[in-house]
Amino acid sequence: MQVTSNQFKKSASRKLADPKVQKALRNAKGKLVVARSRSIRELDNFEEIREAAAQIRDLGLLHMDVLLEQWEKKAVAAGTIVHWAETPQQVNELVIEIARKHDVRKIIKSKSMLGEETNLNHALEAAGLDVRETDLGEYIIQQFGETPSHIIAPAVHKSKDDIADLFAEKHGRPRLNDISALTHEAREVLRPHFLDADMGISGANFLIAETGSTMIVTNEGNGRMTTTMPRVHVAVTGIEKVVPTLEDVALLLRLLTRSATGQSISNYLSFTTGPKRSGDKDGPGEFHVIIVDAGRTQVLASEIREALRCIRCGACMNHCPVYQNIGGHAYGWVYPGPIGSILTPALVGIENALDLPNASTLCNQCGVVCPVKIPLPDLMRKLRERQVTEKLRPWAERFGLRLWAWTAARPAVYGFLTGIAARVGKWIGGAGGLLHKLPAAGSEWTSGRDFPAPRGKTFRQLYARHRKGARR
Amino acid sequence: MKVGLFVTCLVDLMRPSIGFASLKLLESAGCEVIVPTRQTCCGQPGYNSGDRKAAQDLARKLIAEFAGCDYIVVPSGSCGGMIRAHYPELLAECPELTAAVAALARKTYELTDFLVNVARTTSVPGQFSGSVTYHDSCSGLREMGVKTQPRFLLSKVAGLTIREMDQPEECCGFGGTFAVKYGEISTRIADLKCEDVQSARADALVLGDLGCMLNIEGRLRRRGDTNTRVLHVAEVLAGMTDPIQDLDRRTAD
Amino acid sequence: MSARENILARIREANGGKERANDPGTILARLDARVRGPLPTMEWETQTRFRERCIAMMSTIGEAESIVEVPRAVASYLKEKNLPTSGACWPEFAALDWAGAGLAVEARPSRGDDKLGITGAFCALAENGTLMLLSGEDTYATTSLLPENHVAVVPASRIVRTMEDAWDLLRRERGSLPRQVNFVSGPSRTADIEMTLVLGAHGPFRVHVIVVGV
Repeated sequence: MQVTSNQFKKSASRKLADPKVQKALRNAKGKLVVARSRSIRELDNFEEIREAAAQIRDLGLLHMDVLLEQWEKKAVAAGTIVHWAETPQQVNELVIEIARKHDVRKIIKSKSMLGEETNLNHALEAAGLDVRETDLGEYIIQQFGETPSHIIAPAVHKSKDDIADLFAEKHGRPRLNDISALTHEAREVLRPHFLDADMGISGANFLIAETGSTMIVTNEGNGRMTTTMPRVHVAVTGIEKVVPTLEDVALLLRLLTRSATGQSISNYLSFTTGPKRSGDKDGPGEFHVIIVDAGRTQVLASEIREALRCIRCGACMNHCPVYQNIGGHAYGWVYPGPIGSILTPALVGIENALDLPNASTLCNQCGVVCPVKIPLPDLMRKLRERQVTEKLRPWAERFGLRLWAWTAARPAVYGFLTGIAARVGKWIGGAGGLLHKLPAAGSEWTSGRDFPAPRGKTFRQLYARHRKGARR
Repeated sequence: MKVGLFVTCLVDLMRPSIGFASLKLLESAGCEVIVPTRQTCCGQPGYNSGDRKAAQDLARKLIAEFAGCDYIVVPSGSCGGMIRAHYPELLAECPELTAAVAALARKTYELTDFLVNVARTTSVPGQFSGSVTYHDSCSGLREMGVKTQPRFLLSKVAGLTIREMDQPEECCGFGGTFAVKYGEISTRIADLKCEDVQSARADALVLGDLGCMLNIEGRLRRRGDTNTRVLHVAEVLAGMTDPIQDLDRRTAD
Repeated sequence: MSARENILARIREANGGKERANDPGTILARLDARVRGPLPTMEWETQTRFRERCIAMMSTIGEAESIVEVPRAVASYLKEKNLPTSGACWPEFAALDWAGAGLAVEARPSRGDDKLGITGAFCALAENGTLMLLSGEDTYATTSLLPENHVAVVPASRIVRTMEDAWDLLRRERGSLPRQVNFVSGPSRTADIEMTLVLGAHGPFRVHVIVVGV
């Protein structure tokens, strides 16, 4: 996907003013936050499980090389063909090469966020291949020619009416008005493609080192079809997805589905180990897995490596006051919300996403719900620090902060200046005690809010007087 | 018990009454209160903006100023959180300070938390005839564990009833520099908080953090609400919610 | 140097300074140990929980005293719901008297146009009302996936409590994983349109579980 994260403020502004987006966001927030909360209560030792989950993910990061080698050994023994890709470009090239080798014309895809990172669909189409998204939300946005706005519910920003209009246009059938009917029409339209596609491309939620398996977490059935029906299956996934054992996955899944959609379990959990076995009547003749770096080793080596614990549940964005009001597209790349504010600069370059780590109140609603305890606000702060050391902040901001610090370190100067500000501020605020307009950066405040006026004297001034009075 | 009072830079500049209310509450609770007169800022604006050096200088200053106290009490979850939760990381590059920072963090408390859990206060001087709704500031709640303490103390205020809003734990959109860097988003988040505040139909909004206070009050007034009072919990508990004119007279006593 | 070598080298370098046992034996030992992490308190009785959770996940439940009763149990379900009475089943059910129950069931892989698929299951998980299906020579993956209606025959004795228990059972009885293991918890579904739940996405519209035996 193209990176447009430096247009964050403008994008956010448009989304704030868009009543359709606002309605969709309110609807989603209500459902996802409540559902998660309810399902988490089923786990009486949620914090204990969460701590264990964080440790499993950290083990995965710390021993990533050994685990990936072990995974590969087992996978190859089961007949999987394993590829390694260092860059997004290489991922696309590998997939196209596999497609060419097998005379593939038609491809079906179940969800892959990594595929979005590399612009996979675009590359495949440019190579003359027919690619069809099959996850309902991904299918919808593919038809719209858009990008997903949420990692779990990609079409959350679209209304039923938008989709009804789209289907009437694309499917050439009478317009439907009912969500159930729309869903079943998509089922009918996509079913023939499941049956005659040459290749299926999926992501993988986890790689399991113990068994050399990949696994996916789905609800619709398209994931099972994509990984079973076509004669070639390619799974694309990041190096950081590796976990040690099946037990580890069982634990992580208890948190993943609850954190994502409030489900105690998702409909289908599919563990794939190799291609069709001799005797099997179904399954792909070839199973390829592409293990992808694309910036992840750099993150692993950095001060924000905990971001790689992420299991892509989406809980952080669902609970984020910023995301809840602007939606996913404003973040300008594949991953929105708190994790997106960290992964985007980390993977596409800090200078290409300057706003994202700054556009947060650091409220930590995200950190509290993250199933693997990623310290999200701390990582955002670390990226802010990196922006300062790499001199990416506006000069005026750097100067202002240094001036503040210099002054605050000198109590006499500080007292003098704040005394003036308190007096002048009170005077401007007038009888109402409110300032309606502030200059410079202050206008970002006063365009939407009044600023309560100071009271004329500072605490330190009054306290000095208080002390003098007490001594008499 | 020597209690150092750190009023915070916002209180110093904008609302000295909160500082005096805190002083009164601590003295009523039987504490010997020290107010280091050279105190200014804990360094959070620099820290949250990524300027570690600027923040470190101010942190060092604060540590020195409050070194002689048994406790440091702060009428703010945000600044309290800065000292307790973040100073250790901020000064990790200064190993000569590690012990001092750890000691400081251990004895730093948000005001209501201190009153309830250390001073074991069960009565407060304030009176308030009316209803209030309480907003949980994010850092107070998630960094300093402040939730039941202010409500417990408010329940001891004669004449006061508490009416909870729907989502008291939702962020108000202040976020320090966020409020002036992403003003539009900040305003929208504040707006939702204002709707929630107004739906509680209380006479006053009470909070433990001045940053949130200025933000929410600013949006309330711009929305045309001139009725809902916006008060710091220290002011309510200390019975210092009178209009500004009394302030000079009171503090000269 | 290949992409593989480059990536592994970068991973090692990234972790270089980190405290970890340099000998990979420690993490490999953990793979063998297969320690279970903390589980939530689960005070429920297995059989009751399974049935309750199947229903919560929108499957329906039927009972049959023995395997011989299964065709009649299936027929009764299909009749009650007014569903088509022909389809495909796994070979292990070929010898049952389907015709006698008025059903046209063939022991073969599922085709795109089947309306009914009848499978067994390797085992079932009570925790969330889940079927564990293994792909295999006689356990076609498509039978539980393509048809609109999926009927699963599960002996009560094969209902275990958790996924962890299921993995242990699989390791004991089979040693290794087949091509695909599918955990199925009810009919396919989606909430991609306005966060509104709809049953019957790409997989079956209905899942009917027949528990056999006590």
